[in-house]
Amino acid sequence: MPDYLLKNACVIDPVNSISQENMDIAVVDGHIAEEPSANVEIIDCGGMLVMPGGIDSHTHICGLKVNFGRYMSPEDMRAGRVPRGRGMRAVSGYSIPTTYGNSYRYALMGYTTLTEGAMAPLEARHTHDEFRHTPLQDGLILTLFDGDWGVMRAVAADDIKRAAALIAWRLNAVKGYGVKLTNPLGAEMWSWGKNVDCIRKSIPFFDVSPAEYILGVIEANEMLGLPHSVHLHCNNLGKPGNYTCTLGTMDLVPDLNEKRQTAYLTHVQFHSYGGSGWDDFSSKAEPVSRMVNLRPQITIDMGQVMFGRTTTMTADGPMEFNLYRLHQDKWSNHDVELETASGIIPVMYRRKNLVNSVMWAIGLELALLVKSPWQCLLTTDNPNGAPFVKYPEIIGLLMSREYREKEFATVHAATARRVVLPALERELTFDEIAVMTRAGPARALGLLERGKGHLGIGAEADIAVYPVVPGKLDPAKQYAEVIRGFAQTKYTFKGGVMISRDDEIVADNQNRMFWCSPKVPKVYDMDNDPELIRTFDRFYSVRKENYPVDEKYYLTRSMRIETETKL
Amino acid sequence: MRRITLIVRESDSPHLPIEAEVITPEILCRTARVTVHVGNQKMKLSDVFDVHVDGEAAGPGATEIVLLGDASRVKRIGEYMTDGKIIVDGDIGMHCGDFMAGGTIEIMGNAGDWLGREMLGGKIVCHGNAGHYCGSGYRGGRKGVRGGEIFVEGSVGDYCGECLFGGVVHVKRNAGLHAGVNMKGGKLIIDGDAVMPCGDMFGGECTIFGHADDFLPTFAETGKIVEMGRELTVFTGDLANRNGNGTLRVGRYTRI
Repeated sequence: MPDYLLKNACVIDPVNSISQENMDIAVVDGHIAEEPSANVEIIDCGGMLVMPGGIDSHTHICGLKVNFGRYMSPEDMRAGRVPRGRGMRAVSGYSIPTTYGNSYRYALMGYTTLTEGAMAPLEARHTHDEFRHTPLQDGLILTLFDGDWGVMRAVAADDIKRAAALIAWRLNAVKGYGVKLTNPLGAEMWSWGKNVDCIRKSIPFFDVSPAEYILGVIEANEMLGLPHSVHLHCNNLGKPGNYTCTLGTMDLVPDLNEKRQTAYLTHVQFHSYGGSGWDDFSSKAEPVSRMVNLRPQITIDMGQVMFGRTTTMTADGPMEFNLYRLHQDKWSNHDVELETASGIIPVMYRRKNLVNSVMWAIGLELALLVKSPWQCLLTTDNPNGAPFVKYPEIIGLLMSREYREKEFATVHAATARRVVLPALERELTFDEIAVMTRAGPARALGLLERGKGHLGIGAEADIAVYPVVPGKLDPAKQYAEVIRGFAQTKYTFKGGVMISRDDEIVADNQNRMFWCSPKVPKVYDMDNDPELIRTFDRFYSVRKENYPVDEKYYLTRSMRIETETKL
Repeated sequence: MRRITLIVRESDSPHLPIEAEVITPEILCRTARVTVHVGNQKMKLSDVFDVHVDGEAAGPGATEIVLLGDASRVKRIGEYMTDGKIIVDGDIGMHCGDFMAGGTIEIMGNAGDWLGREMLGGKIVCHGNAGHYCGSGYRGGRKGVRGGEIFVEGSVGDYCGECLFGGVVHVKRNAGLHAGVNMKGGKLIIDGDAVMPCGDMFGGECTIFGHADDFLPTFAETGKIVEMGRELTVFTGDLANRNGNGTLRVGRYTRI
């Protein structure tokens, strides 16, 4: 493996306050170094934009749900077919491509770390297996706890320490990185064919309300000292008028952590809807983003919708059923024992559709109205809002008002009366884009300490070199060049290894799996907990002994993170 | 007028499929120096077929392709063809005439599966039997055949006219399971019998002159008519769909 010296690079590294400075970057032994080594390959960047490797803080690329999307939509595999090339496998698919397709396309866009947004604990093996075959990115897996019986009972009994201990046991068992709550308690109600109604009503049999549950899990999460905060998909996704529920949820969040947010609200676009039905459906991005601006303990991601065909998949089963009733097309639904549920539906977002046009505008409004880019990250909730290959277009839209206006002219004519987008003048800078796509996600996920998301001395050499020369172009006018530039890097490095050059993938087998193992005192070690054992014996289809994922067989390169707990 | 005669050569490996999407008037009216895939090997057209070219072509419309010999493992001929004529003297393999938009394909023997899949226009006549998925869509797709005409003198396999969206599919003898399943438009005519036809139908018109076995209960009877001297019972459905508004006419039927 050669070391590299990137000369003449226009570096943006928000964590180290470097903004478009012309400098050289030395890579030695997989890390950023002060001085280049003797055996060095020099690459002249010619003033091109150089950033830390991209980090996707919420995407769905691995797991049973994604794979079921593949079963359901064989027609998706007709798109994006690329034959086998030098060192590259054949790939196919557009919204739910093969794992190699995901990995190659992310690499070409300069992304080196991916966060799978939702894994049902019981399906962990499948998820890890797919990640093993995503060769060019490091992986983190957020584990679903939205309907976990044990945690629900512990929170209902106000025993947060027990809740934390159960979370710790399960994360350790399934090799998860963080806690994800999808439509908290919705999955349990969905087993009864119902859904929860916002956050205040308690659900039967467990006597706990979503608000209590969210708060309890947030406290437990902080108790465990996990690097990432609770990753929250709020209740009432996709319902007109749901912004009140989103505001109510945001209002719950205490400020418990100095280093990062205390709650990460994901795909907030889907949670910022006004109106009482689809007829008076409108954007409420303004109140939602105002709330975010007032609360530094909250970070959100956009969940931007882009027009075209895609597949929606979420652990929010009842929501997908409502979507199915709307579209009357294919639908799949899945119940994961005592843990969670899921649903999948292929959709087509159309410009001529008023609702879709308003959704498209809301995502952009959120990114433009939230003042600090550290608090609003760039995602499409891939593939729910759009496949991740649309990220460059979103960057173009955020950086150029002219492009937004041009696009706005093509959407449904009545959109203008329901959104504020045309009035927004803000145009994001390259620095802000860098925060939204690498530094911000790194901080939100607690990866800065792992040397990700920045280019300081000693950081991991995850580097993206984009064929854009910032000084020489005006992104507000030359948005087409910006989009082209972000669509394909000149070089992408991961851990000091060049993984792509122009349109070619030049490496394999670089992936690692980060997971958390909180250090729990003996009294809180749930391995011998009689109630947990009883739950497995009575209700689970697998034995507790067979439940944990074997690190040796399922994780190629395992990166265990031990955390200090306050139990 | 250009006439291209292709005679399938004897092969050492008679089970390998020949992917011959290049056998269309559009391509062969320009040149016969093209390649086909035999298994995973790329080969010259002239290595797989004896190629005889007569006359000059003024364009695909003035081109006729004749396939002789055992072509039952030759796949995808006439794919995307828009004009001209293809005559197959014996049997033909899978995916014959898929995405075809114009011109004619005449098959003297039997056709494989997926005959005229996702066809847009033109005409296919098969004098023998056709396999499964005759005149259908493809996996996961929502719109199958959108136009044109498929005429099969023999019987067809299962899923004939699946996702039919436009055009006409006419079968002179019997159809297998699930003919016209998921139909959304167009016309499906089966002169013989069928089994469990038209499930999940949204629109279009299906006529079965013979006997429909395992007839689904989700169709509502609306009356009786006489067509071609046969009394037919008319149904509408599939009522399991919110917008099921297809017409299904059958001679005789037994409910499932």
